[in-house]
Amino acid sequence: MNQSIESILRILEGLNTIDLVAKKLNVKKNTAIKKLHELRKLGFVETFGGGKQPRLYRISRRKRLKIGNPGLYDVINKNSPIKLVKPYEHKIINEKLTIEEAIIRAIKSGEFRPILASLALFNKVRDWHRLYKFAKNENVRRKVGALYEVARTIIKVRKMDEKTRKLMLNAKNEKKYIIQGLRSKNFQDIEKKWKVFIPFNYADLERYNE
Amino acid sequence: MINLEQQNELFKVLGEKLKKRIECYVIGGSAMMYHGMKPSTKDIDLVFDHEKDREEVEKILKNIGYKERETRVIYFGKKNTPLLLQRDEARFDLFLNKIISTVLSEGMKERVELIYEYDDLIVKVISPEDIIITKCATERAGDRKDAAEIIKKVTIKWDQVIEESIYQASVTPYIFPVFLFDFLEELKEDLKAEIPKKILDEIRKIGEDMMEEKLKKK
Repeated sequence: MNQSIESILRILEGLNTIDLVAKKLNVKKNTAIKKLHELRKLGFVETFGGGKQPRLYRISRRKRLKIGNPGLYDVINKNSPIKLVKPYEHKIINEKLTIEEAIIRAIKSGEFRPILASLALFNKVRDWHRLYKFAKNENVRRKVGALYEVARTIIKVRKMDEKTRKLMLNAKNEKKYIIQGLRSKNFQDIEKKWKVFIPFNYADLERYNE
Repeated sequence: MINLEQQNELFKVLGEKLKKRIECYVIGGSAMMYHGMKPSTKDIDLVFDHEKDREEVEKILKNIGYKERETRVIYFGKKNTPLLLQRDEARFDLFLNKIISTVLSEGMKERVELIYEYDDLIVKVISPEDIIITKCATERAGDRKDAAEIIKKVTIKWDQVIEESIYQASVTPYIFPVFLFDFLEELKEDLKAEIPKKILDEIRKIGEDMMEEKLKKK
């Protein structure tokens, strides 16, 4: 590695904005953009945000490997207004994680934020039968049906076909808790209908309106 | 030598052939390749939590032409050696929980930064800090070079390294911080690795205290 690049990487290592890069390198904004472009071409820069959010550049002294397809956290972050902090980089080789499978994986994680954020994914479901198949494999059919109904109370969601809905509703021998020990004060009607405990209250879903 | 592309292909084959989901941890040079710190490695080091999972992978590798090799050739006189399987230039070292003088701890598992899914094979890559820990008790020249490269490429979280070495001392018969101190001092002296003096002093102090404690018990 060229020495000057290495010293620049040491200075910039971590999260940066364009302005911060310009300040750290003591250069004009245009020069900072050029430098970032150069570093990105070499594979040292990852970009986040943009649009309404500030554009962030994560600079590392290691080259970022480009192998595999986005994992669960990436799929949720791309499709949900509720963003998750990735606890680790997760990549799937060979296959692409579908929206349908991502919903099931979020439920299986048993974690509050991934499940909450994944509600938005119901609006992106293209194949309800595929969703049912994954749910059946993991024995979470009633959980999926219940969370789908919760999602419909707060966001615009495509309609699940009647056949899939009935199959989900008739599932037997499934666990009641989506997150162990958490029950809802506000969605008891859905809980009763689907025989599962919803881990959210209205206040949790407010984040979708922010 | 095996590069990342070849390693990927091998994992793909394993993942496709597995009949159930298996998790393993990738350490050593293989882990360094995922972190973008090394272009190739001599062997693929995998650590399993369960004997059955290791057996499953062993069975598949043998079915695709890998042959078992005598462990003593590479790990003479060492404990907790891996199962060695080789085909042409590619070698798998399959460990079970323990890696020579180190234990794959819960802390190491929690610090995993990268997870790759090859169908049913889930490969978890240990952190750069933990690669240093696993390399510090091996006495192999290549491991020193690798560790120096890691220190060059990453801002090491030294508190994690120290904490893990203390934990290793509690679960292995070794005074791990002494290994770590010797290892890091050699890196600093011989390979000019940038290790803060404060850190070396702290590790030396921990090692000395542990030795004193051990002597008192005797």
